[in-house]
Formats: sequence, structure tokens, C-alpha cells
Amino acid sequence: MGKRLLLASSVAAILAFSASAEAKTVIKMMHQGDPGWVAAYGDLAKRFEAENPDVDIELIYAPHDAYNEKFSAAVMAKQLPDIMELDAPFLANYVWSGYLAPIKDVIDADVLSDMTESNIAQGTYAIDKQLYAIGLTDSSVVLYGNRKYLEKIGARIPKSVDDAWTREEFEANLEKLSKVEGVKWPIDTFRGYGIKTEWITYAYSPILQSAGCDLIDRKSWKSEGMLDSQPCVDAMTMMQNWVNKGWVVPQSSGTNQFYAEGHPAALALGGHWFYAEAAAAMKDDVVVMPLPKFGAKGASPDGTWIWGITTASKHPDIAGKFVSFMLKDKAYRDYAKSQSAYPGLKSFAAESPLYAPGGALAVAFEQASKTAVPRPPHPAYPAITAAYMQAVDKIFNKGDVKQALSDAAQKIDEDIADNDGYPPFNGEQ
Amino acid sequence: MSMSSAGAAATAAQRPAPRKGARRDRIRLFQEMGMLAPAVILMTVFLIAPFILSFWTAMTNQPLVPRPTPVRFVGLANFIRIFNDPLFWTALWNVTRFTIWIIPVQCGLAFLTALLLHQKIPFRNLFRGLFFLPAITSMVVVCVIWATLFQYPTGPFNQILGFLSFGMIQPIDWLGDPNWAMFSIVLLSAWQAYGFQMIIYLAGLQGISEELYDAARIDGANALQRFWNVTMPGLRPTHVFVLVITTIQAFKLYTQVAILTQGGPKNSTETVVHYMVRIGYEEQKLGYASAVSVILFLIVLVIALLQRFLLRRYDV
Repeated sequence: MGKRLLLASSVAAILAFSASAEAKTVIKMMHQGDPGWVAAYGDLAKRFEAENPDVDIELIYAPHDAYNEKFSAAVMAKQLPDIMELDAPFLANYVWSGYLAPIKDVIDADVLSDMTESNIAQGTYAIDKQLYAIGLTDSSVVLYGNRKYLEKIGARIPKSVDDAWTREEFEANLEKLSKVEGVKWPIDTFRGYGIKTEWITYAYSPILQSAGCDLIDRKSWKSEGMLDSQPCVDAMTMMQNWVNKGWVVPQSSGTNQFYAEGHPAALALGGHWFYAEAAAAMKDDVVVMPLPKFGAKGASPDGTWIWGITTASKHPDIAGKFVSFMLKDKAYRDYAKSQSAYPGLKSFAAESPLYAPGGALAVAFEQASKTAVPRPPHPAYPAITAAYMQAVDKIFNKGDVKQALSDAAQKIDEDIADNDGYPPFNGEQ
Repeated sequence: MSMSSAGAAATAAQRPAPRKGARRDRIRLFQEMGMLAPAVILMTVFLIAPFILSFWTAMTNQPLVPRPTPVRFVGLANFIRIFNDPLFWTALWNVTRFTIWIIPVQCGLAFLTALLLHQKIPFRNLFRGLFFLPAITSMVVVCVIWATLFQYPTGPFNQILGFLSFGMIQPIDWLGDPNWAMFSIVLLSAWQAYGFQMIIYLAGLQGISEELYDAARIDGANALQRFWNVTMPGLRPTHVFVLVITTIQAFKLYTQVAILTQGGPKNSTETVVHYMVRIGYEEQKLGYASAVSVILFLIVLVIALLQRFLLRRYDV
């Protein structure tokens, strides 16, 4: 009798529990980020749940370096989240593969109309011109300088993108800086991020584009004849020379040499996010300059981690509601500001004095409209970036430049051929 | 519980008269099959089937995740591409290099510590535990700690070297210099994993009868002679076993490389398994990666057979 009672009551409890779980809509969100961002997402989810008691936001963290691998694993296990964070250049691959759904109908209209042009560009799929992802932010890379060292060599400090250093000026300054006392390395290009990181393609490919070539021809979608062309060989030889001369912070020395004790690195080719940590340590000694011009025109990177809604989501409307909530949330924006986030929404730009005219990172914002070149928006992008990373590693370690680039170009074209040209990117419908 | 009921069933089956022999055999057959079944099913599902599947996948252009383009049978195209990829040969040469370096370092270290800890020294068990500690520490943790030790130019190793040589030795970029990277990985891998081989050697040493040493002493053999003529021959099977497992482990080098160097600098630490994972996960070519795994399996198989053949007279 006692046993039966126990059984009955436990069955009732289980039923009640599952009923309550069923009443709540679970929205899974996969994301990456530093511990600070992870905490920010956690708080954000709590605020949303407080306003929407019938929704349960489940956060799935995947580390930055292995994010795409983790995502593939989720696809294979049919465990796609509702909302996923994605790196903008991978958007074409995800949409082409059928993982992402258009988001225009599920995101609040005021958020959509608030997007900057570069934000729209990074979330749009080239084939159907639909918006598949949205973010609060965008990104850029600038040239940071140590004011004291720059004054010592009497370098001209560019005020806007239009008067950026030329290649000759830049290399002459590196040479001069290498002889300044206290300077161990004239420049940090953040090799410390590793050799298997999107940073390489993100930060170094604008140097190719500025020199007059590219990772791949964006009309014929062929890499051979482009990545291994003379301008690219020259540009990468130039970078190899910097490394050979001992001008570049080596990979094993970490990513803090610009502001570390004694300030061993004089310049830093760094992302906008680097400003927060550098300025915290060096205050007014940090000078922010536009990326140098290595050829006829300047080039700078763009695109960042943005939010998309997957085709597997059963509640795209609620997922969209959460994304809209996130992009408007004040505390979340405040945290982003503390990380010197690059605004991707007009209203967020208006509350970011750092990027407004006269602000320390105004030059970074100016680059977006004048020199930004997105990474190739093609479904072969995972192969393109992997091949280029390998080439850069060989080149920075005294490998043959032409050989490394043509090997990479061949690998890229091979991948495109393996996928039948990724129709309709090959022109077929 | 299940054991005793099975036993009861067996005696029940044996009790009937011999004329029911055929039936008894059949029952016994079922019993044996039933007892084998769990192992056979598990082996088939988790070992044999995936293995056959990987052979099959290696012949297709199967992507890691579904794509709009069709999956096709491509025959031996993947294998041909692997053999034409200089990076594969670099990876194969790198693991060979790694294996040749790590066997003396790791097995030597394991052997020496085992000899030391076999002596009747005070706190012997405590020391055994301490020396075994790295082996039970996660390789990931070891890698992160050693990355700090290896730091260039101001990490502890470089400072110690500089201090001991009065500044004569310039700081070494342990993990960033193509000439040093693999050697650095050998050092840390040997340190992390030697404990396992040490335990095997200790067991081997304990297996040598004390009487043999007594007899040698009576014959007037000194310590060195006892070592060469009693300890070493007594450890032959252990040596062979340690050699084979160390080789196989070395060929599967992955974790250290994935965490510390990602195959760089200049592919100097690219290994076959890392190459396979890179192609399978980053480039998302599952068919191609399966072909690499089939080749790796064959290589390891050939080496294991070769070692057995060459060392057959020591009879493991």
C-alpha cells in the first residue's frame, strides 16, 4: 500500500514536471566569446526570461577557436540551436548549406531600420539578397602606435583615412623604430593569436587587397591567377621581410607586447577590441591611425560575429524576439561599450563617443565607408581561409612565397571543383 | 546473480542421460552464443562496422555535414590525392621523426626511474606515486603549463638556460622555431607519458625471480654483471611490449600539436592524425579524411607486424 502510494505520487510529480517543462518554449542559443561576454549573455537571458516567463533561453557555449567544428558536430547530431552566433564571412557557406533562415520577418522593424550599411552587408546573402543575420556590432583593424616612440622618430601622425601612411612611409618608420631604445619589436601583428585563427585572413588579407590583388577573383571565383599573382607575391614578400628582420613580435611572445611592461612593441596592427585593453594600460600614449596604403588604394577588413536563426528552429518568431531584445538591451550595450565595441546599429553609434568624430576610434569608423572590403562572400570561404592561414605560416617561417601562395590557390580551386562550383555561385541556376 | 543462474542451467542441462546428447549440445551452443553475444555485438557496432564504413566512406566525396551537392563514389581518387599531397608526406615524416626521438627519451626515462624505484629506498611507494603523477594529469593541462615554460623569450626554460650558460645561450623559440618545435613536443610528451611505461617496467622487474640474483651473486657476479646477465634478459618481453605500445602511441600524436602548435610553424609539427582532423573538420571533407584514417591504420598495422616479426625470438 505504502509502495503504491509512493509510486503514484512520483508519477504525478514526473507528470507535473514534464507538463511545466512543456509549457515553456525553449530557445537554444549557440555562441562564443571571452568570459566577460559569456557572463553578459547569461544576464541578458535572465532579463529576457523575467519579461517572458513562458520562454526558457538555453545558452550553449563553444570556444572561439573550434567554433565551426562544434557547429558541424551540432549539425551532424541534428542538434542545431535556434539562434546561432556566426562569423560573417562564413554566412555564405551556412546559407548555401541550408542552415540559416531569412530573418527579416522575425526581427523588430525598428532594429532593422537601425542597421548601418556595413551591418546589412555582412548579414546579406549575395544570391537572394536576403538578410540572414544581424549584429549590434561590426569590426575593423587599425594601426596603433606608441606616442612616445612616434615622437622620437618624428613620424607624421595621420588624422584621417585619406592621409594614411604609404607603404614607403610605413616601412621607413618600422626601420627607424627598430633603432629606438626600448623598442624590441617595431610592430605586433598579433601572430600570438596562433596560426589557426581567422585573425590571419581577417587582418592580413586587406594588405593584399590594398596591394591590388585578393584571396580569390570575385567574378570567376578562381584563386589561381589571383592569390598567386605578382602583387600578392610582392605583398607577402614584404611581410616576410618584416619577420626576417626581426621587426614583428613572434608568435610565442603573446599578444600583449604593445602595452606590456617597458612597451617592447612600438606599433600594433590590431582589432578595434584591442583599444580597450591598450588604453587601459597606456592611457593617452595610444595613437590610433588608419591602416597604411600598400598600393593605389587603402583597404581594411570588416565583418564580425553576428546572430542568425537556423532553419531547424521551431519558434523562429520567439528566437527573433530574443535577438531584437538583445540588440536593444541597455545593459548589454553598456557591456559592449566597455569592450570598445564597433557600432553596427545607428542608435548604438550615437551612444558610442569613442567612434564619433573626434573620438579615439573615429578613424576606424571612417574606414568602414572608405576602405572596407568584406572577406569573399562565397560558400568556399572555410577552404579559402584555411588555405591562406597555412600559406601565411609557411611564409612567416622563411618559406618560398610564390610556392606557398600557389599551393594555397590550388587548394582553394580544388575545393570549389570538389563541390561542383558551389551552384549557383558558378553561374548555373 | 546471473552467474549462478547460468551455472544452475548448465548443471540442469548436463543431468539428462547421454541419449539426449544432441539436444544437450544444442543447448550448450545457445548458451555459448548467448554469452558471446554482448561482446560480439558491441565489437561489431563500435569497432568492426565503423571500420568497414570508413573504408566505404574513403571511396566517396562525402562531406562532413550535408551539402546541396550530391555524394558520389570516387573510387581511389582520395587516396591518389593524399599521395600527391606533399603535406601528407611531411606529416608522415614528422611522426616518424617524433617516434624515433621519443622512444629512447620516453622509454629510457621510464626504464631508469623503474630501476631506481625498484631499489629498497625509503618512501619507495610515495616516490612511485609522485613519478606516476604526470601520467594521470590530463595532457591538455600539461600542454597549457608547458606552453608557459616554453615561452619566448622570457619563459622559465630560457631563463634557466641563460643563467646556467652565463648568458651564452640565446633564448630559444621552443614552439615557434621550425627546428625546435617538434623536439619541444617530444620533451613534454615524454615527460607526460613515461609513467605508464615505468609501471610496466616495474612489473617486469618484480617478475624476475630473486633466486636468479642470488645464484649470480654466489657465482661472483658484480652489480653491473648482474644487470646485464640477469635483469636485461629477464626484461626482454617487457622491452618488446613497451617498444610496440610506445610506437603505436607515437604514431597517433595529436593532442599536443592541436593545443600548442596547430601543426606549425611551417608544418614542422603537422602529424598524420592532425592532418586528418584538419581535413575532416576544417575543410569538412569526410571522405578524404576517412582515406587518411585507412592509410594510418595500415601503416600502424604494418609497423606492429614488422616489430613482432623482427622481435619474434623474444616471444612476447
